[in-house]
Amino acid sequence: MARYFIRRALSLIPTLFIVITLSFFLIRLAPGGPFARERDVPEAILQNLMKRYHMDEPLFKQYLRYMGDIVRWDFGPSYRYRDLTVNEIIDRGLPVSMSLGVISLVLAAVGGVAVGIISALNQNKWQDYVAVSIAVIGISVPLFVMGPVLQLIFGMKLKILPIGQWISTNGLKAVILPALTLSFPYFAYIARLSRASILEVLRSDYIRTARAKGLKESVVVWKHVLKGALLPVVTYLGPAFSGIVVGSIVIESVFLVPGIGRPFVQSALNRDYTLIMAEVVVYSIILIIANLVVDLIYGLLDPRISYK
Amino acid sequence: MANKKLQQAVNEFNQVMKPVSLWADAWKRLRKNKMALISLFIVSIYILVSLFAPILTSAGVLIDYRKQVITNASLPPSFRPAGELVVKKIEARIASLEQRAKEKAAEQSSFGSFFNFGATDQTQPNSTAPSKPSDQGDTSAFSFTYQGEGFSGNTTDPVVRELLSQKETLEKVKAELNTNPDYKIVYILGTDDLGRDMFARIIYGGRISIAIGIVGTLTAALVGILIGAISGYVGGWLDNLLMRFVDIMYGLPYMLIVIIIMAMIGEKARGSFVVLFVAIALVSWLTISRVVRGQIISLKNSEFVEAARSMGASSWRIIFRHLLPNTLGVIIVFSTLMMPSFIMNESFLSFLGLGVSAPDASWGTLVSEGVRAMESYAWQLLGPGIAMTIFLFCMNFLGDGLRDALDPQSKNRT
Repeated sequence: MARYFIRRALSLIPTLFIVITLSFFLIRLAPGGPFARERDVPEAILQNLMKRYHMDEPLFKQYLRYMGDIVRWDFGPSYRYRDLTVNEIIDRGLPVSMSLGVISLVLAAVGGVAVGIISALNQNKWQDYVAVSIAVIGISVPLFVMGPVLQLIFGMKLKILPIGQWISTNGLKAVILPALTLSFPYFAYIARLSRASILEVLRSDYIRTARAKGLKESVVVWKHVLKGALLPVVTYLGPAFSGIVVGSIVIESVFLVPGIGRPFVQSALNRDYTLIMAEVVVYSIILIIANLVVDLIYGLLDPRISYK
Repeated sequence: MANKKLQQAVNEFNQVMKPVSLWADAWKRLRKNKMALISLFIVSIYILVSLFAPILTSAGVLIDYRKQVITNASLPPSFRPAGELVVKKIEARIASLEQRAKEKAAEQSSFGSFFNFGATDQTQPNSTAPSKPSDQGDTSAFSFTYQGEGFSGNTTDPVVRELLSQKETLEKVKAELNTNPDYKIVYILGTDDLGRDMFARIIYGGRISIAIGIVGTLTAALVGILIGAISGYVGGWLDNLLMRFVDIMYGLPYMLIVIIIMAMIGEKARGSFVVLFVAIALVSWLTISRVVRGQIISLKNSEFVEAARSMGASSWRIIFRHLLPNTLGVIIVFSTLMMPSFIMNESFLSFLGLGVSAPDASWGTLVSEGVRAMESYAWQLLGPGIAMTIFLFCMNFLGDGLRDALDPQSKNRT
């Protein structure tokens, strides 16, 4: 187990390396630099600017320098936000984005499994139909439609929830709408997934055996069915978390959440090289680690899987 | 007699049995699935309308989606002609302005009576309240209010000034109601902030979104099929190499890469949304290639492939004539389920301002425009949002239905 973990952790390095290299060259090869918009800048100042950010060096040397900086977790100065370093921007936004992401993932997982259980145990009754309809709607409504519609209903018409910002300005209530919106598609998918797999497990032999032994229905459901049925849900948590992380980019824009998603879009539009690179690195690390964690949980839940 | 009976008996066994093909079988199963059928119907309508939208426009059924009628800006959805709605809108505005003017006047008069006891010239500005010959009752009621309140300097007050100009436009609109053709247009889904028909814009936005969905899916499917088929059929080191590559690509945060690509190619190149197809398609062939590879590996040692090979068929012929048709079911299911995710991704980018750029508009662009105006003009958000959701909903249902129909052992029935 420990060896497996270490090997997996080490295998992150090549993936990260590829992501960083790919994004670095994609960004540098594109026409137009970060200072392209300031056309009035005199040549001499432009030269100085280039020198200040080491952009006059050969591309490969810049690449090596950048790699060295990343290893030291130093992302350099932002090209656009002149008085902020990229590290400051990331440090400020990351806790916000992470808490939004984790809250949404927990909501999606707990809510989804609960609805899945209810609808599977009441198959073809009204609870089931309601749950299935909600699930299909959840999968089909895009985040950026759902978010504004919720803002419209709860923020502007009913005026019971703040439509944006974060805990620092609006208190805990500010978390509700963004987290609900962000988790909804994954909640819906998990509900569907757990319903299907519970139904399958309910038909399996070992459940029949458990019932034949005369176990109480509640024991059958909670101890036997759920353990087997939740495996597919756990596998899905990895992709779900990636989806939530990417989705948070849009949600942060819609709800004005001060995380790292909005600076990412801005930096991509502004060609803020250092900031884009840092965001890509941070997002990649989050996604890769999430997948690793899910793999490990999977192994803990399913005794048939052994790590070598 | 006996002969005839014998023949009949033989005939009973000799009946020609029509072979049931996979497709006929699948269609039979799909037909039983009501939701999938309804979805197929709605999706077909969407695609037909998108295809024939230019013809509908030139035939006059649809209003030109680029036509801006500033006087008809931000009208709510309705089956009544625009003129009536404009009148209603201006009247509502006037009512609210009058309310505000009244409040202000009340405030000012209590204020004024406190400070300007002796001021007598306050009755003079009342003459500025216009008395138009037409619409007498309304105006006199209006000027009466001001006489009563003893309002001072109201020509410079912004509220009163807007009130006057609104009244003037109301007169103008009422006069032109039957002559101006712009006031006879019916906007069933309302208009946007430039007075463009939302219905036509949604249809044309759908054209782009659906086109990106279809072309993106086709590109991704082609690349995926090709790589999956080669990898599965050839096997060995090539298979290893290609699949390691796919594994690495899977690990990449692909939406981030698409965002970077879109940001990097810049505004101008982005306008031609071919780039968008390519950017999204280049990173979404992975799943299909894996699925096709798996299918091909499981089929490539079967008897019919052996038979084809023994008759001297080339590898390409075996792949394209014998193996791929057998994987078509899976490919179709995956493509149907991939299309909504393509459309969602495209709209996601357009929503962030990184996708389709003006003057073209996709559903994502329309939604992001709607968000900006949603507080006062909710229909500008709801129209494209609902249109898009219905399409995605039906595509998802259709995909699920196809999966159940083509793969009877499917475990994913829900």
